[in-house]
Amino acid sequence: MELFLQQVFNGIMFGSTYAIVALGLTLVMGILNIPNFAHGHLYMLGGYVTYFFFATLGLGFWLSLLASMIILGMVGVVMERVVFRPLTGQPPINDFIAAIGSLVFLEAFALAVWGPQGLRITNPYPETFQFLGITMTVQRVLVIVAAAALIVGLHFFMKKTVLGATIEAVAQNREGAMLTGINVNRVSAITFAISTATAALAASFLSPIFMLSPSMGAILGMKAFIIVILGGLGSIPGAILGGYILGLIEALGGGYVSAAYKNVFAFGALILILSIKPTGLFGKKEA
Amino acid sequence: MLKLNQVHTNIGGMQIIQDISLEIQKGEFVALLGSNGSGKTTLFRTIAGVLKPKIGTVEFDHVGIHRLPVHKIVELGLVLCPQGRQLFPELSVEKNLILGAYPLRSDKTRIRKNMDRVFEFFPILKERLHQHAGTFSGGEQQMLAIGRSLMSEPKLLLLDEPSVGLAPLIVKLIGEVIASISHEMKTTVFLSEQNANMALNITQRGYVLENGRCVLSGQCSDLKQDEKVRKAYIGA
Ligand SMILES: Nc1ncnc2c1ncn2[C@@H]1O[C@H](COP(=O)(O)OP(=O)(O)O)[C@@H](O)[C@H]1O
Ligand SMILES: [Mg+2]
Repeated sequence: MELFLQQVFNGIMFGSTYAIVALGLTLVMGILNIPNFAHGHLYMLGGYVTYFFFATLGLGFWLSLLASMIILGMVGVVMERVVFRPLTGQPPINDFIAAIGSLVFLEAFALAVWGPQGLRITNPYPETFQFLGITMTVQRVLVIVAAAALIVGLHFFMKKTVLGATIEAVAQNREGAMLTGINVNRVSAITFAISTATAALAASFLSPIFMLSPSMGAILGMKAFIIVILGGLGSIPGAILGGYILGLIEALGGGYVSAAYKNVFAFGALILILSIKPTGLFGKKEA
Repeated sequence: MLKLNQVHTNIGGMQIIQDISLEIQKGEFVALLGSNGSGKTTLFRTIAGVLKPKIGTVEFDHVGIHRLPVHKIVELGLVLCPQGRQLFPELSVEKNLILGAYPLRSDKTRIRKNMDRVFEFFPILKERLHQHAGTFSGGEQQMLAIGRSLMSEPKLLLLDEPSVGLAPLIVKLIGEVIASISHEMKTTVFLSEQNANMALNITQRGYVLENGRCVLSGQCSDLKQDEKVRKAYIGA
């Protein structure tokens, strides 16, 4: 029972990160109509930027996190403007290639600046406590709480504000959005900023727990991509639920069978769900 | 109010609109007639800024708008209610309407007022306020599209084939609403239609397009008598 609860706790923590990263990927996908394959690499960059402010400059954890979110938000705006906007109206394969190009660049950049060896920031909240017979660290609880707060906050932003509604509008009908007077370029830039800043947030919370490495973006980006397919392309609730499900599958599979196989469980679940429901958990019927 | 000067528009290298000049005065109610594929939609999308003319100019209230982005043109008061409606299918009626008022977004009372006026035209939209637009029938979607385009209080409203594919009873209802938008709201309306019958009965004058060129224009009473128009568009 303890093992089960411990793995559920870990699964929810991994899942929190996955949910946020997949959420950002889904938001931008609504705008681009293809997944931004560089999303995991933006997460990786967010982790390093936090490392830079926290370990190199010696700022506090929360200030470093904030700085990382702001900088990654700006990176998102620049990326939309320089990489993707010039491709508007061209075949989706061009966006696809541009995203691959960006991720190669980001990984090479991190490698050049921070080197190939793993880096870790000192855990700002290393305290542990016992709850329901399992051991929790404050940092891990913080990951879960922060992710939940972010998801609730984003939900209200999307559903209750006009700016949030414009993001949905542009995703659902770009030309229709233009014709109501929405500046779709501005909405695209804001969407990218939200997507990259939330990735930086997730990376910042996890950087005291896991090593940073230039290659971590590729694995996480791939998983986020799986989650987005799992949840139903473009579905926000699907991305969130899919994130938590993947986290739980990995943690339980890893805990009971072998941690070495956790990616096998992740991909296995993807294949299983898609064979039962080809459009994903929250997928729409083909139009 | 609207002035087109020798406008040519290309799509994918093909000349679709060729040498169109026309002028619409404030308060007028004008029809754009033409069979399927004659270029009505392309012309309207050019005026609204979705497509940019290859040659020629578009002036709105004496300002050249043919190089402006679409949202700037909307802010000036020129709104296109597009063919195919281009609604937000997974947003509620209410949100579709609120987004229609995007240029007025800081003025909540005006948005309320405009929404109430849309409900006077189309009471069914009020009953379905929280339903997703994508669940609607064609006629209801067209009502919502017209309602959405009224939300920002346009000075000039372009309505692109609002009756296409709808049942005669709905066409009649929509025709009446368009007529009262023109008369009661004093909005200048430019209406494109394949259904020349409906359009010629409510508008004052019209232009006839063929293969992207303007081949005829005049008062509706004259167009109705024109042998070519009768043959091609009225079926009489
Ligand atoms: N996106 C497009 N790509 C290629 N050809 C187009 C496109 N849109 C319109 N056309 C062509 O332009 C011509 C005029 O079309 P359109 O403006 O839709 O006419 P209408 O609205 O009068 O039916 C047609 O021959 C059509 O095939
Ligand atoms: Mg048309």
